[in-house]
Amino acid sequence: MSKGNSSGDGGHFDKARRNFLRGLGIGTAAAVAQPAWGGQTFQDTFADFFQKDYRRMSAEEIEAALERIERKAQDRYDVEIDCQNTPPQPGVVYGYAINISRCKGYRDCVHACVKENNLGRDSQMQYIRVLQLDQGDFNLEHSDHYYEPETVPVEGKHYLPVQCMQCDDPPCVKACPVEATWMEPDGIVVVDYDWCIGCRYCMAACPYWARHFNWTDPEIPAEEMNTNTHYLGNRPRPRGVVEKCHFCIHRTRKGQQPACMEACPTGSRIFGNLLDPDSAIRYVLANKQVFRLKEDLGTEPKFWYFSD
Amino acid sequence: MSSRILLGMGWIICLILIPAEAQETPESPQPLRFEGYPGAHEFDVVPRKDELFFYPCTQCHDFLESSAEIRELNAPHDSDLEHGRGRIWCLSCHDLENRNTLRTLLGEPVDFDEAHLVCGGCHANRHKDWYFGAHGKRVGNLQGERTLYNCTHCHNAHNPAIKARAPKPAPPVRSGLELERGIEHEKSSIWDSQEEHEEQ
Repeated sequence: MSKGNSSGDGGHFDKARRNFLRGLGIGTAAAVAQPAWGGQTFQDTFADFFQKDYRRMSAEEIEAALERIERKAQDRYDVEIDCQNTPPQPGVVYGYAINISRCKGYRDCVHACVKENNLGRDSQMQYIRVLQLDQGDFNLEHSDHYYEPETVPVEGKHYLPVQCMQCDDPPCVKACPVEATWMEPDGIVVVDYDWCIGCRYCMAACPYWARHFNWTDPEIPAEEMNTNTHYLGNRPRPRGVVEKCHFCIHRTRKGQQPACMEACPTGSRIFGNLLDPDSAIRYVLANKQVFRLKEDLGTEPKFWYFSD
Repeated sequence: MSSRILLGMGWIICLILIPAEAQETPESPQPLRFEGYPGAHEFDVVPRKDELFFYPCTQCHDFLESSAEIRELNAPHDSDLEHGRGRIWCLSCHDLENRNTLRTLLGEPVDFDEAHLVCGGCHANRHKDWYFGAHGKRVGNLQGERTLYNCTHCHNAHNPAIKARAPKPAPPVRSGLELERGIEHEKSSIWDSQEEHEEQ
């Protein structure tokens, strides 16, 4: 990516602009250097305002941003969280496969996800939806994700969990006007919640209804807050930004299972490294009849379904 | 039918394994033992013996007379065997001589913690999937030490089908909206008006 080169023509204007910005910069530096005026909250607000896109921040700036996030969480939820910036592992691209003949529609994954990712308990937002369909029917328009029978599985129905497919050619990324969302080297499509302007173009572009807009400040009881967080993942988000499943980036980058996979009591969820020929996901792709949703759109989802 | 095929395969294996001179001797060869699938990562199995209520079995069976006769059992082992739809019974998997172990179809002793070796005797496809991670569950991590839950951790060996249970709560409907179900999108009025529009 090019780094904002100034063109030769607008030299005078550019110089004036640069001086103005430099002045602002000194002002910011003064504000950060002197804790005497304004207090910590004021400084944090000031620094937040001038925070850059995640991909343009230096290591120190990210470190400062993480500390601000931790302080804000302390203020807002009265919880001491640990916000990290775990980098992607080299030689790893994550993929997911779900065995739909094993999924019974318990929704354990949905609720584990809500808890793990600090989703507002009041905000009606859930990253995973488990669709209930008639057996033999694969028209997603006939699906029902509000099913609430006494017991599942219901006779004559099958279940299809959907979440972010982590497309390899993601249309949401192309739609974003401010480049607040992108694909990480390990294949996870992430959102910089501080850079997102909440225009929701990406939601319109996503063919899987996988992106969600948070209309309210997430309300989370302090004791249920997950303190293991990641800048691009499950840190407490502001209101008015778009969120989505991020393959539990704070867990998977440390070699743990995503929360939905760990919670699944049936073992229908298989997650792993697509580049490792010995991984479970590669075994599934090689040995099972797999398919992807809306494959004809060419977005190359890294999310497969199979039955056996 | 399948046993005939198995027998045939066994003979072919024998013919391959035994050198020409040895084939003349009437001694029956040792059957091949299952030694895992090549290419599968090594793993540990979550032990389950401590959770078994009656284990070790010999605490009673040392003092009881053993009988191989197929019969109705009573307490504490009521005849609740739903597995195999009547085709198998206790001694298909349990060892009559050594009560503290299970046995494979070949009669090899199998520890209760290695129960998957018994299950795999019939359910070979599932067993292979389980070895490679496509069936069952791995404990905790994604990288590093691989620990798997045993078959019997999730399936009751005497009644292996998973029972239906209540789902977790459904997602709430956004405030101000009402839940509508079973909408036929293709028959929605918006399409009718579209058709009328096209006719005009």
